Amino acid sequence: MNKKPSVLSISDLFFAFDKLSPLLRNVSLSIAPHELVALIGPNGSGKTTLLKLMMGFLEPLKGSVSLFDAPPKTSHKLLGYVPQINIYDQQFPLSTLDVVLMGALSKLTWYGTYPKHTKEKALYALHQVGLCHVKDRPFGTLSGGQAQRALIARALVDDPQILFLDEPTANIDPETQELILQLLLSLKSSMTIVMVTHHLQTFIEHVDKVFCVQNTVTEFTPQQICAHFSMGVFHSPLIKRPGKS
Amino acid sequence: MIDMLHNPFFLMALLAGIAASLAGGVVGSYVVTKRIVFMSGSIAHAVLGGMGLALYLRRTLGLLWLKPIYGALLFAILAAIVMGIIHLYYKQREDTAIASLWTSGMALGVIFLSLTPGYNVEVLNFLFGNILWTSSQDISLLLGLDLCILVVLFFFHKKFLAICFDDQQAKIQGAPVHFLYFLLLSLIAITVVLLIQIVGAILVIAILSLPAAIANIFSQKFSRIMILAALLGICFTCIGITFSFAVNWPPGATISLVATLGYFLGLGVKKILNTRKG
Repeated sequence: MNKKPSVLSISDLFFAFDKLSPLLRNVSLSIAPHELVALIGPNGSGKTTLLKLMMGFLEPLKGSVSLFDAPPKTSHKLLGYVPQINIYDQQFPLSTLDVVLMGALSKLTWYGTYPKHTKEKALYALHQVGLCHVKDRPFGTLSGGQAQRALIARALVDDPQILFLDEPTANIDPETQELILQLLLSLKSSMTIVMVTHHLQTFIEHVDKVFCVQNTVTEFTPQQICAHFSMGVFHSPLIKRPGKS
Repeated sequence: MIDMLHNPFFLMALLAGIAASLAGGVVGSYVVTKRIVFMSGSIAHAVLGGMGLALYLRRTLGLLWLKPIYGALLFAILAAIVMGIIHLYYKQREDTAIASLWTSGMALGVIFLSLTPGYNVEVLNFLFGNILWTSSQDISLLLGLDLCILVVLFFFHKKFLAICFDDQQAKIQGAPVHFLYFLLLSLIAITVVLLIQIVGAILVIAILSLPAAIANIFSQKFSRIMILAALLGICFTCIGITFSFAVNWPPGATISLVATLGYFLGLGVKKILNTRKG
């Protein structure tokens, strides 16, 4: 049987902030093109850390991470990243369009302005997420759901081939969660999507794989996921065993 | 008032004030929005070590070309680099790093001054500012540094904004985040030295941060904040110098008080505007 090509592969990864207490060990996984993948796990289990290792913001102490057959640091141009919205200073004086344009910072001319077609792409990205009407509003005055969608627009403006999202539906009402789900499903045909989420019940019917992170990473198909996990309640054993209810 | 306009000291002071406030308003906008006011204060106080060293070498070795402002510039940039290294590579508690640099710079200044023979009136000027003694040479230096700052900002403004708002995103986009951070801190350091000429090291935080803070109360657009902050800085400096000249108060302290008054006035006006909007 032919093995699917992978856009992201991790082999025997070991990572610790403090060498005495490793956060992630023996992590091996592979993600194929156009897959929608969810990373789940209890708080503090290392999900965001794993996401940062995948993007090359952190270096593994052992093992390797490969993004598009190269170290992640050299593949930054191919990735889009949507961090948690709570890391941002709500009083920072930038319009929504300014924030989206930052996703195309590499396109700045030598004299420090964005080319016309980059501005058009930023407006199109805002249109994709349904936020054209707030393009001139200060970013800090957007609602949680709008801010999240603006950050997705920022990640899309440079045509990424893989999109990483860190809790895209945290603190967001069910209606906006549904909007974000539909948006991600519409993007799936053009890119691979990896997201950390505590709201797996929103995505469970649509994801291709689920990686449960808890010191190490266990891969599940959506069918193997216990209903409790999809609601964010984690317990042992992790796998719903065949034949048992 | 008309007498004042014929006074060359007053006119030179106004010109110096305008030159420094321009850079102060523009660079202060980054300082306020990035919330690094106290880091700038630390750079301002570390500068005293450089001035002390320059004065010591000037007097003991007879290096007459070595002005205290050269020592100040050197120590300001060194302090900015040390701050940047601590922030980027050591991830230590920044407040502690700020305090250590703040006090060690002043301590070095005190030690060098105690070793320097003669009466050190220049240091008092640097501590509390004495804009009325600005020479035409000082004005040329101020305008030159102003120009450098504005040229760098013209080319790097959007990249500075990007690293101030979200350095990880800037890194994904291939921006040299560390270089840009050091460059921004160096610009802040140069601006601090410019402003020290006017209000002195002890009061520099007021004129660096308050105009931009007032502008930020009324605008959420960065470019508008920069322009408004520069204009407010120029206004505060002109009002402060004129008032200090009229009532014979120290100009640096008067400018700082005017800026503080402007800040509270701004808060009050905003409150009234918000109440009216309902």
